[in-house]
Amino acid sequence: MSNYKAAKVSKGSSGWGGPLVIQPDDSQKYIVSVTGGGIHPVAQEIADKTGGIAIDGFEKSVEKNEMACAVINCGGTARSGVYPKMGVLTVNVFSNSPSGPLAKFIKEDNFVSGVTVDHVEMADGSDEGVQQKRTGEAKDEQNESLLDKDVAKKTKEEAKQKVAAKEASEGKKKNPVNRVIEVLGDKVGFVVSTFFQAGRDTIDTVIKNILPFMAFVSVLMGIITYTGIGDLIANWVSPLAGSLVGMLILSLIASIPVISPLLAPGAVIAQVVGVLIGVEVGKGNIPAQMTLPALFAINPQVGTDFVPVGLTLGEAKPETIEVGVPAVLFSRLVTGPIAVVIAYFASFGLYS
Amino acid sequence: MDFLITLAEGFIGMFQEGGDTFMGLVTDIIPLLIALITAVNALIKFIGEERVFAFAQKCTKYFFLRYTIFPFLAVFFLTNPMCYTFGRFLPEHKKPAFYDSTVSFVHPVTGLFPHANPAELFVYTGIAAGITELGLSTGPLALRFLLVGIVVMLLRGVVTEFITARMIKNRDRQSENSVA
Repeated sequence: MSNYKAAKVSKGSSGWGGPLVIQPDDSQKYIVSVTGGGIHPVAQEIADKTGGIAIDGFEKSVEKNEMACAVINCGGTARSGVYPKMGVLTVNVFSNSPSGPLAKFIKEDNFVSGVTVDHVEMADGSDEGVQQKRTGEAKDEQNESLLDKDVAKKTKEEAKQKVAAKEASEGKKKNPVNRVIEVLGDKVGFVVSTFFQAGRDTIDTVIKNILPFMAFVSVLMGIITYTGIGDLIANWVSPLAGSLVGMLILSLIASIPVISPLLAPGAVIAQVVGVLIGVEVGKGNIPAQMTLPALFAINPQVGTDFVPVGLTLGEAKPETIEVGVPAVLFSRLVTGPIAVVIAYFASFGLYS
Repeated sequence: MDFLITLAEGFIGMFQEGGDTFMGLVTDIIPLLIALITAVNALIKFIGEERVFAFAQKCTKYFFLRYTIFPFLAVFFLTNPMCYTFGRFLPEHKKPAFYDSTVSFVHPVTGLFPHANPAELFVYTGIAAGITELGLSTGPLALRFLLVGIVVMLLRGVVTEFITARMIKNRDRQSENSVA
């Protein structure tokens, strides 16, 4: 225990969350770098300062309860949410604030973003250690109180249900019409509130996920079409996405195991290429029928950056993950182009 | 001075163009998305996750269902990225194949069911915008994208399961050799 020291990680200038105090111990000694391409300098720095062990999450995998913290480079929403949800302290070297489907798990006490090597400092000896313990205790208390709340809620609900049942049975005795109205009101209330919550979730998603990407696409398209870069790109894209051979080449390149994880994050590249192809289809440079195989040609790399995390979510053992990452990458080399061919044959009769 | 004015106009014009694109996207795409996603979200809440779990587990025995219905349910009900948690219903050596199969479906699903992956819509929406531009309906493309997506899901599941099995065998043989 005495070998390990606490380090304080604070957010970068445009970052969010924190500061986190990271204190590895014998059971949680790994600083996991899930950044691709070796151990990130920030992970190394944290490991050096705390005495923990830095490890490349893409090569070796670690049980989540052995992680002191995870260092990620996620500009999107997936990794940023997954680790906080698993209860692992998360250090993001990119600057982002909570968003995406897992936003509610991203808190200031488990997530810090925009971190560079300069933001990792020694926590000042025992003082910080105590503080860290205190926050730990506070967290426990929070959890307990949450649990208590849940229990209280449950008992309350049970009590309510009992009362409702009682009332209902009494109502039945007294007046069947009243009972019907009561049950009906209950059901309608349930349906209405469910739809309302669904609507709230939807608007949340539109604002947090869909509109920001539309803003990005709009600015990009504005620049491309106005400056005339669009015509240049069209000369490249049209022949590649307009014929079967071109698309096979495209899919083969994008499924090479070294390249695919670089193209995959957030599906940003696939989405931008999708928009560019859409423009060419609109102009008539690419036949409408070819859109179906094109959808697969631009996307053989999907999810190749996310294999270790996806497998961890499926509760796979570390040995499985070590085999699984190369298995998926090599599989893509075969299935990427085949998918294009299947889609090509499936596109016969489309828009003709 | 005239040069500066032209420059300024060009600068603003570029973002005017972007603004027009944005307006088009918002009015063409967002209203349908909101109505559709709200309805599907409500449907998912009505059905409830427990019922889906129980049904999904029955699909894991047969390879055909394991790489078609099973990941489809995962993506439809749990959405990206929580869909991968369905991997826990499978034995270890089939988890990589399930992941590959499932992640391949998070874009084909968006043509008809955008709720499943709202942060990555433009793979489909970008290309489909061209179809709309031509005055054609995007329905046939969305449907075929989904169906071919299911075929690709099955293909990736089977191929990756095979490769994983080979790699595990190789690894076991190697460790045996090193022991001997």
